[in-house]
Amino acid sequence: MSKYELPKKFDYKDIDILKQFITETGKIIPARVTGVSASNQRKVTKSIKIARFLALLPYTDMHQ
Amino acid sequence: MKKYEAVIVLNPNLSSKVDNFKKDFEKLLKDNSFNIVKTEDIGRRQLAYSIANHNKGHYILFNLEGDPSKLLEIETKIKYNESIIRHLFLVVKEHNGEDSSLFVESKNKKPEPSEVEKDKEDVKKDPEPVKEDIEDKSEAKQEEGEDNE
Repeated sequence: MSKYELPKKFDYKDIDILKQFITETGKIIPARVTGVSASNQRKVTKSIKIARFLALLPYTDMHQ
Repeated sequence: MKKYEAVIVLNPNLSSKVDNFKKDFEKLLKDNSFNIVKTEDIGRRQLAYSIANHNKGHYILFNLEGDPSKLLEIETKIKYNESIIRHLFLVVKEHNGEDSSLFVESKNKKPEPSEVEKDKEDVKKDPEPVKEDIEDKSEAKQEEGEDNE
């Protein structure tokens, strides 16, 4: 199940790693699809949300 | 004393005045008895969405140490600084001594223009063998472009 590249420590600056966990439209992929452990999924989600605030990742593909 | 990580996104039109801003900001931090552990000037980056009609932003990352009560004063000053389009202070347990992936990425990108110029000179000297290289590079560039989007 090592489909995803997981780092030792999650960071909102590692955009390439976080990009694996968002869809083309920018949504966070749910844990039931990613198969990542609940603990890791929480960390991923948190990092993605910080990265979104800093405009490193999009909230959606509908940004004007 | 708490450890902080601060990300500041500057107006891209002021990219040339970054050094001035850095001095001012460092002074502001020192006046509030903040200790600067590390600074990373990541530089201009494409924003994932436009902020205040800007499509690019100049990212600067700070590793700081200081008092939470003083942080409020700093944030109120940042609020009214129009050159800052976005800022974030995060509390961290430990400062990561390594360079962030953003900083490494920006470092790798910068030397490219000079390399391209060198390659052009090579093309003039012996055109046949280098052609393959050019094709490879154009592909590489396309991939990079996709990443940026």
